[in-house]
Amino acid sequence: MEHNGFLQEQKTLEGDLNSDTSHKSSVDFLMNWFRKRSIFVLAYGTGCGAIEMPPTFTSRYDAERLGIRGAATPRQADVIIVSGYCSYKTLRRIIRTYEQMSNPKYLLALGSCTVNGGMYWDSYNTIKKLEDYLPVDMYVNGCMPRPESILEGFIALQKEIGEGKASSWQKYEENYEFYRKNQEAVLGEKVEPSYDADWYLYDGGL
Amino acid sequence: MIVIDLFLMLLVAYAVGFLYYGLYRNITARFQRRFGPPVWQSFIDSVKFFFKEESTSHGWMFYLGPIIMMSGAIMTLFFIPFFSSGDSFSGLSAYGNLFLVLYLLVLGPLGNALGVGTAGNPFGVMGVTRGLTRLFAMELPFYIAVIAIMSLSGSADIATIASGQTTFNAFAYPLLFIGALFSFIGMMGQAPFDVVGAPVEVYSGPASEFSGKFLALLMSQSAIFTFAKLVLMVHLFLGGASGFLELLLKTFVLFILVISFGSLYGRFKTPQSVDFLLKVPTTIAVVGLILATWS
Amino acid sequence: MDLTLFGLTDIVLSLKATSLANFFAMLISFSFVMVLFLAPKYVLTKSFYALLTLLTASLFLIVYSNDYLLFFIGWEVMSITTYFLLSFTLSKEALHKYIIFAMASALSLFIAILMLYSTNHSFLYADAHESFMLLTDVNSILFVVLMLFAIFIKLGTIGFHYWLVDAYEESQNLFTPFLSAVVSKMGVYALIIFVVNITQPAYVLAVMGVLTSIIATFKAIQEDNAKRLLAYSSIAQLGYIVTVLGVADGLGGALYHSLIHTAVKLLLFINVAGIIYVTGRSKFSELGGLIYRMPQSFVLLLIGIIALAGMPPLGGFASKFMIYTSLLDAKYLLILSAVMFSSASAFIYVYKLIYGIYLGHPSNKKLESVKEVPLSFLLPQYIVAIVLVVIGTFPALVVPYFNKILEELNLTAIPFTDTATLMTPYAQYNGFVVIGAFGATFVLVLLLFVSLRSKAKEAKDRFDIAYCGEEPNEGTHLHYGFGMGKELKRVGFISVILKNSSSYFYDFLAKQISALSQMTRKIYSGKLSLNFNIAIVFLIILLWWSLK
Repeated sequence: MEHNGFLQEQKTLEGDLNSDTSHKSSVDFLMNWFRKRSIFVLAYGTGCGAIEMPPTFTSRYDAERLGIRGAATPRQADVIIVSGYCSYKTLRRIIRTYEQMSNPKYLLALGSCTVNGGMYWDSYNTIKKLEDYLPVDMYVNGCMPRPESILEGFIALQKEIGEGKASSWQKYEENYEFYRKNQEAVLGEKVEPSYDADWYLYDGGL
Repeated sequence: MIVIDLFLMLLVAYAVGFLYYGLYRNITARFQRRFGPPVWQSFIDSVKFFFKEESTSHGWMFYLGPIIMMSGAIMTLFFIPFFSSGDSFSGLSAYGNLFLVLYLLVLGPLGNALGVGTAGNPFGVMGVTRGLTRLFAMELPFYIAVIAIMSLSGSADIATIASGQTTFNAFAYPLLFIGALFSFIGMMGQAPFDVVGAPVEVYSGPASEFSGKFLALLMSQSAIFTFAKLVLMVHLFLGGASGFLELLLKTFVLFILVISFGSLYGRFKTPQSVDFLLKVPTTIAVVGLILATWS
Repeated sequence: MDLTLFGLTDIVLSLKATSLANFFAMLISFSFVMVLFLAPKYVLTKSFYALLTLLTASLFLIVYSNDYLLFFIGWEVMSITTYFLLSFTLSKEALHKYIIFAMASALSLFIAILMLYSTNHSFLYADAHESFMLLTDVNSILFVVLMLFAIFIKLGTIGFHYWLVDAYEESQNLFTPFLSAVVSKMGVYALIIFVVNITQPAYVLAVMGVLTSIIATFKAIQEDNAKRLLAYSSIAQLGYIVTVLGVADGLGGALYHSLIHTAVKLLLFINVAGIIYVTGRSKFSELGGLIYRMPQSFVLLLIGIIALAGMPPLGGFASKFMIYTSLLDAKYLLILSAVMFSSASAFIYVYKLIYGIYLGHPSNKKLESVKEVPLSFLLPQYIVAIVLVVIGTFPALVVPYFNKILEELNLTAIPFTDTATLMTPYAQYNGFVVIGAFGATFVLVLLLFVSLRSKAKEAKDRFDIAYCGEEPNEGTHLHYGFGMGKELKRVGFISVILKNSSSYFYDFLAKQISALSQMTRKIYSGKLSLNFNIAIVFLIILLWWSLK
């Protein structure tokens, strides 16, 4: 999968806001309408982009009028926001959490670090392109994006859900070997996190 | 026909319960100087969970847990009549009484506790133990007030208590009402007694392992149960109701009172809430009971 | 049937088969048969079974006697045979505690009976009221104190329960159901005889009963051992019976609760005996996660727990309902609030029992390969569970029998229309409708739920839980709930109950008596000269007094 830098996520953000909608059946239309109107976001801030999430969900910018609210556990969540850089340590937990969410689930990638590494493009400890490890539904670029941008990203995500085009969870299931190969290449054979606090001593390194 | 009666009661409780939850989110939002979601947002949330592709289950007891909870909520609803007289919307209340309803209030949470225990998530069990610990302290002022009212009305039948009030019990015996109101705030899951399902602190407590259609069932039973509890309080303290408009008005006023408390106060820890509930509301209720029944 | 003792026509002994006696005899024989189901799985000597049969015979003597002397003979034989049965497995300390309390109970009972005899020269129940009326004021108070002291020890009322918990915990697993279900009921029978025939100290009984149920419930919450938790639960349930016997019309509720309590304790103790038989452990911190290895035991314990907590579909609610309406009728409103409070607190230890054993995660590897308990454990549990369900569905099934008992004792009967509706002056409820509506709702919701779009996917293994992004493994400590109730120590009102124990008082008493006896020991030193001097002084005093 190749990408063209910022132009790719620019297309996903702008290209679909005015297009026509077409649906498979009326049951699908109903389901997508309900899914679009109620979005539960997992309360998990993975990186420094998470600082912009609290203002978005509280009184100042009020994402709740769009039907978006926080959820405590991955079992209850629809959307996981990967906000900012992903160190290897965090990537293990994000993968475990993503796999515990129930389908249909969506991944919103916040910040430039998820596109091409952003500010940490030459770090030894972070991943540079999230799309290789987990399928992404919507990018919101910026460093960090302001709450207005996040809200615009959510509205675009809602539009995609309404049209039935946000199917990254199906992409994950169908191409599981591809994603797993990439994850193992960078995390070692055991992708799941070890519970022990001194994991880096017993696990054989990073 | 009694089956149609029961079905209509269920439908009304479901619709009004979700409407009240939507209004609750709106009103809380206005307290916080913002606009909230549309009024039907809670209903959309629960239906969205019904449309999830798959839900994770942990065995047959986990599967049956939410179903027992829903049956408990529906049973509580059926044994509380909507109106203080007349045959319509009286459900099965002729075959039960107030003691039965007080015990049915605990049947649902017990089913939930069994399901949560089967999953074995430590956070879920922590939430359940908090709930049980808070339960006995929360029920004491409520029991004292209810026992006083039963003794004053001379009957344990809800319709008789509701229709036998010339002035509302809330104004005739204000101390009893205040004592019961503290418990009622806890029963509705509002601050300062809402430590059970604290969303991020204890990983949402009992709801931590439920996904998909289990969670949808939990939300639906919550709506039905809320309405049943509101109707019970209206019959006990606000003189019952003789028509739908009066019932909706009185339950709405009580609901607004409770959630106003909830949105203004912080949250007590579990030992703090037990300590407080065993001291202040209990004393108020006992003094109210002595004053009311002494003569 | 009347007898005379050695031709002394003064002392008339008699046995009589009253309906009350028949009711308790039925409870005794039912428990005896249920307990014997477990016999094939325990290797016990013949003397054990001989003692058990002798114990049962003495229990029959207690209930069928019509006068206090035969009653006392039965009481003594019961205490002594229980001592021998307990001596098979109890530690020395627990055994000493039991025998001291049993002997104290027997002694004070005997003194009370002799006080009755001294005024009217008759041991019969029929003459007991007259004998009591003839006592002077001080003597009548003394009589009531002695009698209640004896009965409260047997019932395990708080303050006098020091022997009970250790005895239940360490006794033979086959014997504990019998102890808890029936031997404690002899205290109930004694209290009923006292209240009906002699006098009813209303407030004393009500307050002691309420204190018992509240304190014992909170002590049960703290326990880690399954048998100790059930022992404290026994004490609390008997506290309800004591409370309701302090009320004028409370006998119906007391009888109903005796029936339910017998059934429930049989079920629970046999279930725990099965667990100990299969896993060898009885502490919650060492058990856990057995639900999928032993589904039948789980369902049976669930039925027992629902009945113990007094929840509607099953029989436990019927007895609690009768107790509550009796208290409401007599206007004991604060007492009723306290009883309902302790009943609500019971939910915690009831959930702790089922969670610590069956739910959660297994505490060690061996628990993941246990098998279901053998049939001899399951069969008595099934029988008792069926009895509980039937009583729950038709709560007024036993009311005609209770009415027979009440009429014989010249008390007001319980109103009765049909077997499904339990009626009291304040309210009524229909057990059949409750259980039918619950069953129908459950089945309908289940059918709707199963046919929904979203499929239920099984979790991969027991570690696939939402654990904040981490993955627990074999070494992670996941069986948490067994420690529930510990935070109650920080609540002011309850920590007073939990931090104090009757052992402080009894240790203090024992130390004082030991110090006193150290002082008096000095009189009987080995020196002949001292004894000779004491004897001379004693003779001089005796001569002087006789010459006065």
